[in-house]
Amino acid sequence: MSKHDPDLPPSALPNLGRRTLLKGASMGLAGAALARVGGAQDQRAAHHPPRAKRVIHLFMSGGPSQLDLWDPKPLLRERNGEELPASVRQGQRLTGMSGNQASLPLAGSLFEFKQHGQSGTWASELLPHTAGIVDDLCVVRTMVTDAINHDPAATFLLTGSEIAGRPSAGAWTSYGLGSLNPDLPEFCVMVTQGKGGQPLYERLWGSGFLSAQHAGVQFRSGEDPVLFLNDPPGIDRATRRRMLDALKGAGRSAAKTAQAELAFRMQLSVPEVADLSNEPDSTFELYGEDARRPGSFAANCLIARRLIERDVRFVQLIHQGWDQHGNLPGAIRTQCRETDQASAALVTDLKRRGLLDDTLVVWGGEFGRTCYSQGALTPTNYGRDHHPRCASLWMAGGGVRPGTTFGETDEFGYNVARDPVHVHDLNATVLHLLGIDHERLTYRHQGRRYRLTDVHGSVVEPLIG
Amino acid sequence: MFLRPRHLFQVALLVAPAIGQEARVDFAAEVRPLLSDRCFPCHGPGLADPAAGLRLDQRSSAVDELGFAAIVPGDAEASELFSRLQHADPERRMPPVSSKLELEEHEVALLRRWIQEGAPYGEHWSFTRPERAARPAVDGNEWVRDELDRFILGGLESRGLTPAPEAAPATLLRRVYLDLTGLPPTLFELDAFLADDRPGRLERTVDQLLGSDAHAEHLTAHWMDVARYADTFGYQSDVDTHLWPWRDWVIDSFRENLPYDRFLTEQLAGDLLPDADESSRLATAFNRLHRQTNEGGSVEEEFRVEYVCDRVETMAGAFLGLTVGCARCHDHKFDPITQRDYFGLFALFDDIDESGLYSHFTNATPTPTLELPTEVQARRTVELEQKVAAAMTSARGESIPWREVLTTNFENAGEEGSSVELRGGAQLVEHEAGRSIEMDGENSVVFPGVGVFRRADPFRIKLDLRSPEAFERAVVLHRTKSWTDSGSRGYQLLIDQGRLMFALVHFWPGDAAAVRTLAPLPLDQWTTVELRYDGSSLAAGMEIWLDGEPAPLEVIRDHLTRTIRGGSIEHLTIGSRFRDRGFKGGAVRSITVMDLAPEIPHATNTLRAARAVLDDHRDRIRQIMTMRESPALPAAQRTAHVLGRGLYSDRREAVEPATPAFLPALLEGPVTSRLDLARWLTHPDHPLTARVHVDRLWRLTMGQGLVPSPEDLGSQSRPPVQAQLLDTLARDLIESGWDSRALLRRMVLSATYRQAADHPESLAADPNNDLLGRASTRRFAAEVIRDAALQAAGLLVERRGGPPVRPYQPPGLWQEKSGKVYRAGSGDDLRRRSLYTFWRRTSPPPAMTMFDAPAREICRVDRPATTTPLQALVLWNDPQFVEASLALAKRAVDLAPRRDEPNSGDRQRVEFLVRSLASRAPSTSELEAMTALLAAQREAYRGDLNAAHQLASFSLERAAHPDAQAEEPEPLDDGSAVETAATAVVASALLGLPDVVQRR
Repeated sequence: MSKHDPDLPPSALPNLGRRTLLKGASMGLAGAALARVGGAQDQRAAHHPPRAKRVIHLFMSGGPSQLDLWDPKPLLRERNGEELPASVRQGQRLTGMSGNQASLPLAGSLFEFKQHGQSGTWASELLPHTAGIVDDLCVVRTMVTDAINHDPAATFLLTGSEIAGRPSAGAWTSYGLGSLNPDLPEFCVMVTQGKGGQPLYERLWGSGFLSAQHAGVQFRSGEDPVLFLNDPPGIDRATRRRMLDALKGAGRSAAKTAQAELAFRMQLSVPEVADLSNEPDSTFELYGEDARRPGSFAANCLIARRLIERDVRFVQLIHQGWDQHGNLPGAIRTQCRETDQASAALVTDLKRRGLLDDTLVVWGGEFGRTCYSQGALTPTNYGRDHHPRCASLWMAGGGVRPGTTFGETDEFGYNVARDPVHVHDLNATVLHLLGIDHERLTYRHQGRRYRLTDVHGSVVEPLIG
Repeated sequence: MFLRPRHLFQVALLVAPAIGQEARVDFAAEVRPLLSDRCFPCHGPGLADPAAGLRLDQRSSAVDELGFAAIVPGDAEASELFSRLQHADPERRMPPVSSKLELEEHEVALLRRWIQEGAPYGEHWSFTRPERAARPAVDGNEWVRDELDRFILGGLESRGLTPAPEAAPATLLRRVYLDLTGLPPTLFELDAFLADDRPGRLERTVDQLLGSDAHAEHLTAHWMDVARYADTFGYQSDVDTHLWPWRDWVIDSFRENLPYDRFLTEQLAGDLLPDADESSRLATAFNRLHRQTNEGGSVEEEFRVEYVCDRVETMAGAFLGLTVGCARCHDHKFDPITQRDYFGLFALFDDIDESGLYSHFTNATPTPTLELPTEVQARRTVELEQKVAAAMTSARGESIPWREVLTTNFENAGEEGSSVELRGGAQLVEHEAGRSIEMDGENSVVFPGVGVFRRADPFRIKLDLRSPEAFERAVVLHRTKSWTDSGSRGYQLLIDQGRLMFALVHFWPGDAAAVRTLAPLPLDQWTTVELRYDGSSLAAGMEIWLDGEPAPLEVIRDHLTRTIRGGSIEHLTIGSRFRDRGFKGGAVRSITVMDLAPEIPHATNTLRAARAVLDDHRDRIRQIMTMRESPALPAAQRTAHVLGRGLYSDRREAVEPATPAFLPALLEGPVTSRLDLARWLTHPDHPLTARVHVDRLWRLTMGQGLVPSPEDLGSQSRPPVQAQLLDTLARDLIESGWDSRALLRRMVLSATYRQAADHPESLAADPNNDLLGRASTRRFAAEVIRDAALQAAGLLVERRGGPPVRPYQPPGLWQEKSGKVYRAGSGDDLRRRSLYTFWRRTSPPPAMTMFDAPAREICRVDRPATTTPLQALVLWNDPQFVEASLALAKRAVDLAPRRDEPNSGDRQRVEFLVRSLASRAPSTSELEAMTALLAAQREAYRGDLNAAHQLASFSLERAAHPDAQAEEPEPLDDGSAVETAATAVVASALLGLPDVVQRR
C-alpha cells in the first residue's frame, strides 16, 4: 500500500471521537489498515466494551401486524366493528388509503394469543416456532416511527432518516468498527427471492455519503452469490493466480495488488459460505426443508448464520410481503409460514454455537398496522393500514435482556401508553450494544457532523441485560 | 477487507504555520472553523437563546457586550473563554461533557495564540466578493505559462519547494484527453501527437478536444450528479421519467460553450426569460429532476413540499456550494442561514402547478410540462389548429341537437336487465317525498358503458341530488379511476369547499379545466344540477346549471391539453371513489346523460371531428416536466410559509420570496421570481457563484479541487490553500463573460497542469498536494473506467444524445427489488458511453456504484474514489470488461499473429496492449512479466483447448441475452483460440493497472 494514497480523502476516516482517532493515528492507522489487508483482525477501538460484535437484522418489509402477532388486544374483539373513537385517534394523520374511508371499524384479531415460556411472553398462534424461543427474546411493543408510507418509513428505519442519501445502519457499523474477516464483505444483504410486495431500493443498504466500501454487498442465490464473483468461462483459478503474480512481477507493489488479492480470496470464501451442501440434515430439520431452496428466507437465515460464524459484521435479511391492507388473515399466515421457523432456528442455532452472546438479532418492520379495518370488515376477513404510532419488534442475543416484553400500548393498540421506543432510540441502542456511542460515531460532510441518529435518540437501558 | 485512508489533518499541518514561524493565526482558516465546530452549537447563530447570552460568531458579543469579557483581546489568561477550556472542574470545562465534543491541546494553544494576537475576527472567506489578488512575485518566471501558475509557484516557493518537471508528452496527452473527454487517445492519435514536432501541438490538441462531442459528454456526465439526473422517479415505484431531452440540452449547451451565467439562468428560470424559447424552457427541467413518488396513500402535500425543498437544496448545492438543508427544520447551527432564509428561497421555487404525487394508473407526465414536437408534428399542429378554427367559424350559432343516452330515476336499478348497477350495498329507498338512493360514502351507483367521452365531445349530465353538509371535499359523480392515484384522469363533479366543482382532467391539477360555483350548494334540499360542456377543452366551455339557471362560476383551472381518457377508468359512477371521500349522507334520485345526436348538423360534427384529430395528434407529442410559473394558482398555495420543523403540516408565518439575508442583496428591489434569483446568482459581485464554478472546473481538470469541501463553502469550511488564485480566477471568469471553455483551456495549458505526477519532494512535503507541486493522481470515475476500456478496445460507439440505453448488467437486479425486468439492449446499445446508461435510482448500474457513482437521488457535487476488492471483480468478470479484454486480445493477435523470432510477436502484443490501455510503452519489468504470463497461458490453454475456446468465443451479446437464440459464432481453429485466450488474460490483467484506472 502506498503511504500516500491520493484517492482517499481525510474525511473518509471514521470519527470515533477525536481522542480515539488521534491515538489510532499516532499508533499508525496505516498499520491497522495494513493488518486488515493482511488478514488479521481489525477491531477498532470502541467507545465502551461491546456486548455484541455482530448484527443480524431480519427486516420484515411491508410492516407486520403487531395486533396479530405480538400485541394482543381483547378489547378489539369485544368492540369488533365499532367505530374507532376520535378520542383514541386524536386527529392523527392516516394514509390516503383508509383516511378517506367513510368508517373506521375496529378489527379484533382472528388469531389466538397465548403466553409462552418461563417469561410468559405473549405470542399469537401464527408464530409457533418463535413462541418456543420467547425466553431468548426481548419483545418491544412500542416501536414508534415518523413516517406513514413504506418508502420513507423503511428508509428511516434502516438509515435513520427519511431523506435519501444517508448511510444505512450496516454501513455506519462497517465504517465505525471495520471488518473482523477481510475475506468477506463487512456488510452482507440477502433478499428473499420470488416474494414481490413493496419494492426495495439500494439505499436501504447503501453507503450514502460514506464511501462505497461501506455499502452492503448483496448475497444472491444463483451462480454469482456476489456480483461478478465468478471468472468467465475459460479462466480458472490458476490463471487468475498467474495473473496476480505477473502483476507483482511487473513491478506492482504488494499494496497495489492488495485489493486484487482480496478479490481473489473472496472468490473462494464467498462460495464456501453460500454452499450449504455440507450442512447436516439436522440443520434442515431445524431451519425447515425450505432452507434447501436457494433464495428462501430459511436458506438466507442459514447463510446468515454461516456469515456470522465467519465474523461478518452486519447481515441484513429482507423479507417482503407484510403489507396487508386487505385479506390480512390469509396473507399473514403465508408470511409467518415462510419466516417463523427459520427466524427461531437462527436464534437457536446461534445459541447452540455460542454465538448468540455476542450476536444481536433484530426482527421487525418499518411500522405497525392499524387497529381498524381498511376496507370492509367481515367475520372472517379484514385489512389493516399502515400505522406509525406503534409496532412490535424483537431482539435476541448481543446483550439484550432475554425473556422480556417492553413497553405498553393502549387497549386499542393505537397509541403508546408507556415506554415508547423511537427508531432513533432503537438505532442508539443497537450501536450501544456494539460498543459505540451513537453521539460520537460521526462523519463530517457538508459542513456538519452526521450521525445515524441525527440529533436524536437515547439508549433504551431496560432493553439491555 | 477494504483499504482505509490514513492521512488525516494533513490539511491542518499545511495551513498552520510550522512551529517557530511568526505567521499570525488566520481567523478564517483556523479559528472560525474550530469555533464553529465546537462552540457554535451553543454559542452560535440560529439560537433563540445562546448559552450565557454569549455568541462567539460575533466579536461584539464575545469581546465586550457582556458584563464580563469572554475574550479579553491580547490577554488569554484573563479571558473567561480561555480559562473555561482548561477548567479544573469538569462541570465548568468547555465544551461541556454532554456535548461529547473536545478540544485537542494544539487547538487550545491555537485559541490562546489568537487571543494573544488580539482576537481579530474577519469575514468568512467565501461570503465576500472575490477580488483579484496582486500578481505574486516569483523567482521561477520561466516556468510560468499562465498567470495562474504564478500563484502555484508562489505557494511552492514560499515553502522552498519546486514544481515537478513537465510530464512526458504521452502522459500529458493521455491526461488531457481523459480530463477533457473522459476517453483516452487512440493509438493513432497518440502516435500522431508524438510525431508532431511543430510548436503548439498541445494547444492544437486541446482546442480540438474542447470542441468535441466527447468533451461535452464528459462535462455532462459530471453535471448529472450535481443535477441528480436519473431516468426514473426514485422512491419505491421508480417509474421512468423520460427526462433525457434535458440531458441532451446539457450536452448541447456544453458543445456550444453556453456562458455559465446563461447556463445557470436557463436551468433555474429559462421559462421566465424575456426571450424564453423551447430550449430555455427545456433547461428548467433541472428543477424537476428531484425524486417523486406515487406510493398509494401518501399525503400529496407532504411530497409536494419535499419536491420544492429539493429544488432549493439542489440550487444551493449546485450554484452556491452551500448545504442549506439543515435550515429547513431550524436555523442553521453553524452557518448564518436561517429558517426564514430557507423558506424565502422555498417561495421562489413554489411557483408551479404541480402535484406531490405522480399518477400510478396513467402515464401522464407530471405537470407542468413542455411539449417537444418534432418539426413534422409542429407543422401538423398548425394545420390542425387551422382546421379547428375554420370549423368553429362554421359551427358558430348552430344549435346542438342533444340526444339522451341515459335517463333514469333508478326505478329498476340493480335489477337484472337494468343498465344501472348498485354497488357497496346502495339501494333505492322509498320515502314520503318519493324514491332516492342514499349514499353512505362507500357505496355507489354505476352506469356501465355510459358517458365515455373524449374531450372533443360535447356532453350534458343532469343530476337530482341532495347534500347533507357543506363538504370540504366529496365525490358526487365521476368517470375516473381514482384521485391522486390516477391524477383524477377523466371528468368529475365534486363538492369542494361546499361548492360544486366540475372538472375535466388529464392530470390534476396542472393539466385540467375546472369551474366551481361561487355560491355554496344548498343543503338538505333537492337540487337539479346540470353539467354542460361544449367540447372545447376550455373552462369557458363548461357550465354548471342549478335548477334550470346557469350558476355563477369561477375558473379553477384552464389548462387542459391532453386526453381525459385512459388509465383504467371504469364506469360513470355516483357516490364514491377509490381512496377518496364519498358523498356520505347524500342522495340522488335521477340522472340524465346527453351527447350529440347522430344526425347532428354537418358543421358541429365537423368541429368535433377536427378537435378529435387535433387532440389525438397532441397526445402523441413528447412531453417533459419543466417549470412554468403558474399565475392561476390559488393564492393560498402561492404564499409560502415557514414550516415548523420543516413539516408540511406545520405552517407558521408567511414569508416573501427572498435571497438569504446573510449574503449581499446585490439587486435593486425585491426578489420575486426564479429569474431574479438567477440574476442575483450571476451578479458580478456575487461571492459564491463564480468561486463554486471555478473550483468545479479546476476539480474536473486538475484531479482535485481548490476548495477542500466543494459541498460546503460555508462557515465550517476551510479557506482554500490557494484562496487568492481561486478569487482571481473567479474574477477572470466573470470578466470573460463567464466563458467556461476559455478557463478550462487556460487550466490545461498551464505549467501547473503539465507537471509530472511523480515528484518525491512534493510527495514528502505536501502529501495531499494542496500546493499543486505535482499532478494529482486519482482513480477515474466509474463512467471513465468503462468508457476508456471500451475505447481502448475499439468497441466504443460514439453517438451523441438520444434516449438512454441498457447495456449489460447482471440479470435479476431489478426484478428482485420491484418485479420489473431489465431488458438489456443489443448491438450498439451495449457499447455507448456510460452517460447514456439507463439510470434507475433504486437499482443503479452495479458496476458503476461499485466505483462510487451515487444513486442520483440527491445533488452530489463530488464523489469519493474508494478502492475495494469488488472493483477488481468488476474489471475481471463483468462481461463488459471481459469483452473489452477479448477485443483487445484479438487486435493484438491480428497485429502480431506469429511469435517468430524469440518471442518478438509476444512483445509486440504486450506493447500494443499496454499502449492501448495506458497510452505508454510497457516498462521492462512489465514487458517481462506480461510476456511470461502470455507464454504460461499459452501453455495452459494448449493443455485445455476447451477453456481456450470458451474464453475466445465469449460473447457479450450472449451474456446480455442468455435466453435468446443466438447465432453460433464462427468456430475458431485451436491455434487462434489459444492465442486469443492467452492474450486476453494479459489484457484482463492490465485493465486494473493504476496507470489505466488512475489519472497520471
